Amino acid sequence: MSSWWKKIWEDEFTKTDFVKEYEDKFRSKTNPDTPLDQLTFCILDTETTGLNVNKDYILSFGALKVKKYHIHLSDLLEIYVKAPLVKSEALSVHEIVQKNDAEELSSFAQHSLQYIGNSIVVGHHVGFDIQMLQKTYRPFGLKKLLNKTIDTFELAVRLEKGYHFNPELIRNEEYSLDALCKRYKIPLHDRHTASGDAMLTAILFMKLLKSAENKSITKLSHL
Amino acid sequence: MANVIINRVREFLQSYPPFSFLDEAALEAVATAVEIRFFAPQEYLFEQGEPAQDCFFVLKEGEIHLTQSIDGRQEIYEKCDEGDVFGVMALMGKRPYRLNAQAAENSLVYAIPVQTFESILKENNRVALYFAAGFASGQVVVRNDLSKSQQARSILGSPTKDIGLLLFTGQSDVRIKHEVLTCQIGESCHAAALKMAERDVGSIIIVDNEKLPLGIITDKDLRNRLVAKKLPFETPVERIMSSPLTTMKPNANFPDLYLTMVRQKLHHLIFTEDGTASSKVVGIISDHDILLAQGNSPAVLIHGLQNTSEVKEMAKIRNRAERLLKYYLENEVSMDFVANIISEINDLIIQRAIEISKRNLEKKYPEEVRKIKFCFISLGSEGREEQLLRTDLDNAIVYEDLDPEADLAARPFLAELAQSVIDILLACGFHPCPALMMANNPKWCQPLDQWKKYFSEWISNPTEESLMHSAIFFDFRPIYGQKKLSEAMAKHIYKEIEGKSVFLNFLAKNANMNPAPLGFFRNFVVEKSGEHRDKFDIKMRAMMPLTDIARLLVLSHKMVDINNTFKRFEKLAEVEPQNKEIYLEAAKAYEILMRIRAIEGLKSESSGRYIEPNKLGKLQRQLLKNAFYPIDELQALLRVRFQLDYFKG
Repeated sequence: MSSWWKKIWEDEFTKTDFVKEYEDKFRSKTNPDTPLDQLTFCILDTETTGLNVNKDYILSFGALKVKKYHIHLSDLLEIYVKAPLVKSEALSVHEIVQKNDAEELSSFAQHSLQYIGNSIVVGHHVGFDIQMLQKTYRPFGLKKLLNKTIDTFELAVRLEKGYHFNPELIRNEEYSLDALCKRYKIPLHDRHTASGDAMLTAILFMKLLKSAENKSITKLSHL
Repeated sequence: MANVIINRVREFLQSYPPFSFLDEAALEAVATAVEIRFFAPQEYLFEQGEPAQDCFFVLKEGEIHLTQSIDGRQEIYEKCDEGDVFGVMALMGKRPYRLNAQAAENSLVYAIPVQTFESILKENNRVALYFAAGFASGQVVVRNDLSKSQQARSILGSPTKDIGLLLFTGQSDVRIKHEVLTCQIGESCHAAALKMAERDVGSIIIVDNEKLPLGIITDKDLRNRLVAKKLPFETPVERIMSSPLTTMKPNANFPDLYLTMVRQKLHHLIFTEDGTASSKVVGIISDHDILLAQGNSPAVLIHGLQNTSEVKEMAKIRNRAERLLKYYLENEVSMDFVANIISEINDLIIQRAIEISKRNLEKKYPEEVRKIKFCFISLGSEGREEQLLRTDLDNAIVYEDLDPEADLAARPFLAELAQSVIDILLACGFHPCPALMMANNPKWCQPLDQWKKYFSEWISNPTEESLMHSAIFFDFRPIYGQKKLSEAMAKHIYKEIEGKSVFLNFLAKNANMNPAPLGFFRNFVVEKSGEHRDKFDIKMRAMMPLTDIARLLVLSHKMVDINNTFKRFEKLAEVEPQNKEIYLEAAKAYEILMRIRAIEGLKSESSGRYIEPNKLGKLQRQLLKNAFYPIDELQALLRVRFQLDYFKG
């Protein structure tokens, strides 16, 4: 009886080495007084078969890192994931055709998790990407991503409307990635590819972060 | 498939020099190594005196100002816009930065690691030349750079290899026949013809006992001078040979030897060991060889002009010359050569126009009127042999001084002749002078005595109008008729200036009226924001100052017979060795300006005078900008030499 109960509280899956390695990176906490330009941000975007976290799955993943307002192009990650089946609607939006060099799910999980590490995860409506990723990592023994996250959607709203503005009053389309790029004069390229969207989000993020600094948001704890 | 981000960077870089010179693999390597950096307004990328970083920069978006700290103030040295390459000190032996780089707007910058680029710099000559020639922003243009930037342009500008281009670039491409058929003086024409038949060639060189070249016999000579004249086959060769020969050194550059052939209307050019007829023959080249290689050659056009009396045909040939010009410009043929060829064609059209007009008037006027001596002179740009495009006609007629009665009789003839010539020239596509400075204007069709009065008046009374007239009339060049008349005019001018040196001060003042457009590119970035999208007047702002300065200095040195602005500067460099560098720079600058204007004119089917800077390619813009520097220096020189600061006119 007791062992059955124990099973409930245990991970359904055993932790793989790369998950343990990932979790180890969070042993020491980042000092909340770390200035923003000392932090490593991982800007990511996923393309999925749909918007239902339970039913849909990741087709491709694009990520890059920003530190000190620099992006190293030698340190990018772009992975196409081998899909069990291909749903036609997502294809028509993202025009993703199954790539020859698509990776197996396990390989994707390992590479993406190693890449993300303990950086601060940034994305536009990043909550959705996090949920999709967590779903993907679950079979490998990771329940929850431990990273701090920044949603560029929320950051933009906070900077433009103030901290205490009721998010429910925001018209979402005014803060879509397209609308924000237009407002912040970022030319749109390669929309609807994971890497392309990650790049746009990264430039948007750098611009937002700079204006955050001008509003005395200068430390990790301020974010 | 490569990452879309890297693809995007690669595509961006590919459209800007020096990255446009990289092959796929190198470009991919560079794009992958790029670091994208973001800078907010006022932030510094680097500061003057700081050690060079391990990368140089390309501006992706935004605006970066390169500034110089002088006495605690910051002066803007240059504004970089999209695609500009800067901060290249890192590549140049890692010296400290000479300028500050500061973001003026939110800017995205691509940082290219030196490590990645160094091997490219070593292997790719075009990239190396790009940097050596100072094309990157903020590289201080030092004097000797213009020649390099010109050289660089010719290499960077035309990536496509063209057989026509090869013809002009190096000696090795000219096919000189080294096996030259010869026979000695004293041999019979029959023996010579036998040798020619055996070798199946159309010409034979006649040499003396020491094998030195004396003359040439061609198929045509055998026909015209032997058979047609019923001379015996035993006639010695020297009796029918063409002599003397025009000889050159075998390493003479192609434009030179080609021009010699075109000018002297030679069919054969002989190469000897030392270039003179007193050394051994080492090669021969015929006009036929060149025609075969060239297709639409100037020689063909000139031949066509010489053999037609049809105005329509002349117009057609002038159109073809325009295509030839376009080809020359695109292939970076030297401006000296291009200007020479086009002037030769223009001159020939004028000469033909006069000949045709004279013939048409033959029956209308008595012989004593038709026989009066006159000289048709070209003025302005055609006078300077710089009229590449068919822009405004500026010309005049000077005729001998006659007694009043004869003068009265001559005037209607000359007036009608001039009108007919101008009509033909207009039919050939030239444009009339809006100020009517043309031979058909009675004011500019005058006897020598009147011309002398004109010049004396302009020189002794330098009003605004006379200065304007000097700018056009002092660059005259005889095209047809009695050269002595134009020489007498030149002599008179120098005699007049001798006594009235203050005239030169006026000319100097006039030449300094238009300051060098150095600020132009600084405004350029501002213009982008949309207040003014003004075009740039290359003639008025850049070329005229140089033309005016060259004319003035040549007058002050009493030089004659050099009309071309860049040749004037070259000559000045000889006479004033202490200013050699700046004069040579000016000469090159002028060539560059002529080229850019002609290219623009052909492109927009206009005079090319007004240029839209933002439609120029990056290299062109940089080249144009470098060409402005000598203007500024020369104007400073004039200020001192002609004491302009004390001379209030």
